[in-house]
Amino acid sequence: MVSKKNPLKTILFYLLIIIILIPIVFPFIWMLMSSFKTQVDIISWPPKFIFKPTLNNYKRVFVEQHFLAYLKNSTIVAVFAVGLSLLLGLPAAYAIARNNMDKTSMFILVARLLPGISFLMPWYIIFSRLKLMDSYVALILSHMLIALPLIIWTMVPYFKSIPMEMDESAMIDGATRTRSFVSIILPLAGPGIVTATTLSFIYSWNNFMFSQVLSRQKTRTLPIAVYNFLSYVEVAWGAVMAAAVAIILPAIIITMIFQKYVIKGLTAGAVKG
Amino acid sequence: MKRFLLALLIVLLSFSLFAQGATETKPEEIRVMLANHPYGDLLKEKIPEFEAEYGIKVNYEQLQESQLSQALATEFATASSTVDVFMTRPLQEGLMFIKNNWYSSLADYDFADYPQSTVDIGTKNGVPYIVPLVTEWQVLYYRKDLFKAAGISVPKTFDELKAAAAKLTTKDVAGFGSRGKGAAAVTQMSSYVYNFGGRYIQNGEAVFDSPEAIKAIRFYGEMLGNYGPQGVTSMSWENLMPVFQAGKLAMWTDASVFYGQIIDPEKTAIPKENIGIADLPAGPVDDSPFLVVSWGMAIANTSTHKDAAMKFITWATSQELALEGIKNNITMASNSAWKGASGLMNEELIATQAHAAANGYPYDRPFVTSVGAARDLIGEVIIESINTKGTSTKLEALAKEKVAAVNELLKTDGEYHNLPY
Repeated sequence: MVSKKNPLKTILFYLLIIIILIPIVFPFIWMLMSSFKTQVDIISWPPKFIFKPTLNNYKRVFVEQHFLAYLKNSTIVAVFAVGLSLLLGLPAAYAIARNNMDKTSMFILVARLLPGISFLMPWYIIFSRLKLMDSYVALILSHMLIALPLIIWTMVPYFKSIPMEMDESAMIDGATRTRSFVSIILPLAGPGIVTATTLSFIYSWNNFMFSQVLSRQKTRTLPIAVYNFLSYVEVAWGAVMAAAVAIILPAIIITMIFQKYVIKGLTAGAVKG
Repeated sequence: MKRFLLALLIVLLSFSLFAQGATETKPEEIRVMLANHPYGDLLKEKIPEFEAEYGIKVNYEQLQESQLSQALATEFATASSTVDVFMTRPLQEGLMFIKNNWYSSLADYDFADYPQSTVDIGTKNGVPYIVPLVTEWQVLYYRKDLFKAAGISVPKTFDELKAAAAKLTTKDVAGFGSRGKGAAAVTQMSSYVYNFGGRYIQNGEAVFDSPEAIKAIRFYGEMLGNYGPQGVTSMSWENLMPVFQAGKLAMWTDASVFYGQIIDPEKTAIPKENIGIADLPAGPVDDSPFLVVSWGMAIANTSTHKDAAMKFITWATSQELALEGIKNNITMASNSAWKGASGLMNEELIATQAHAAANGYPYDRPFVTSVGAARDLIGEVIIESINTKGTSTKLEALAKEKVAAVNELLKTDGEYHNLPY
């Protein structure tokens, strides 16, 4: 039997989607529109939805304020912080999962639960004594504080969900523990790794506090650079919006590419099978 | 496993590559911290000229003001500073920085070109620490076209101000605006308090519960409660300025620094000729708007290039650059800058400067070490007054309570009955 769709239901369905989407999407649209507006158009009331677009805000962001340099800094810090965290976190999570080291994982969680600001003063003193202020090393290490526990905590249940028999059969075939981890378990954990990577990348990308204190002119990251548009006598809303677009866009693109893995990864650990 | 270790090694090696970049130093380089202030922008442009003339390399950073304060405080407090010269806000951080010995003495600097009161702000026990850079005072910005349409003239007294606000308030346009957001409002309400004959702090004691101060707080609340824009209790200058620029505000009292912004055709929907600037109206007791040193420049005590730093600060505060500042509508602190201002700057703005310089009071906030906390406390009284349109019956009791709290702060900081004013 072929079921006929009720057109009213279809309309209601899409209407509902639109209603749900509006509060989520509207700020983004507003931001995008404002980034093409002049200051006069931004402050005009009632708000203008039709206006003459200008590229001045983007010019200010990329030409006058050298946002590409900050983009580079953010990318270096995020890529290395996440990469190193994966390098350390994946074997750690595997070990915790296979040996039921729950106390260790609890300990790691505590490090994450402590407010980040409590680390900052000691870090600041240590890094400045080591002459590592305004260096990528300081920023990468500090961002790893966020990325590492996140990766471990995402990956432990994921590794647990992969049956122990996988390791055992690999080892029966002569593989070492390391070999079975690298060749068998890691590929199976692909979606989980992608989830952990994406989430920790976004955390690092958006991090404000650590970069604010530990970076200076040379290694300043994007979220800090937005402050360049808040001055003593002016808030350059258009430029702030353009900068926000420049910050969000890479994060959105990465998330969109990995999205299907993320969702799979988030639910995979939930039900053992 | 080997491959794994190899990867680890590569990453660690690349780390050390990054680390090396940070350690190199060259002689005769100075590090200068500038604020996101129009004068900071001007210096940034001119620094290459200084470098060419003196052969000193200037590594400058420009930061938003609260970030700047935070960055300086962190560097100084952890004794890890490499800063040589920096822009500083005497009223906001001056006392704390002086107390902590973070400024270097400027006894060798020639302060002859500055009004004594502006130098005194940054002086302790006869030693000056801060070169005044920019002053600001309270003014009344107003819409000439709306005044003309309503057939009224610029208010000269608070009574006239109230009458004008009532007349100019329409469904579309708020008649009067001034900062209403608690702590941020403290500076802009100060002139009202002075003109009613009150003070925030007197003889090292909080006195904003005096009958004069209470009258001022009530008047401020009445004006904003009745004629202010919607949501004024969450508005500071960054919210009020766009309202004015969009043409939704007929009068706005705030600091003189915003003049350049509100006449900039790229930022304002109102033609320049419709925007007026006048003295803050006189109160029943006094006519004494605040005139403060909002920005100064100082040398870090920990600087290891003090000679070069002195050369830089002398250059950065020179008469030539001050005149450049005046040309850009920046309200400079030095006397000579104002002598040469006519023709370079808006004449109405110059007139308000002359009035404030002759009659002004050099503080716009409780000038104490815990200024932030004190502002928060006074801010609560202001909000109560605005919310009740100045009629709150609890206002006296609330002010008394906050006065006691501010006095506690003063006692903690050893400033109770121990301030120079």
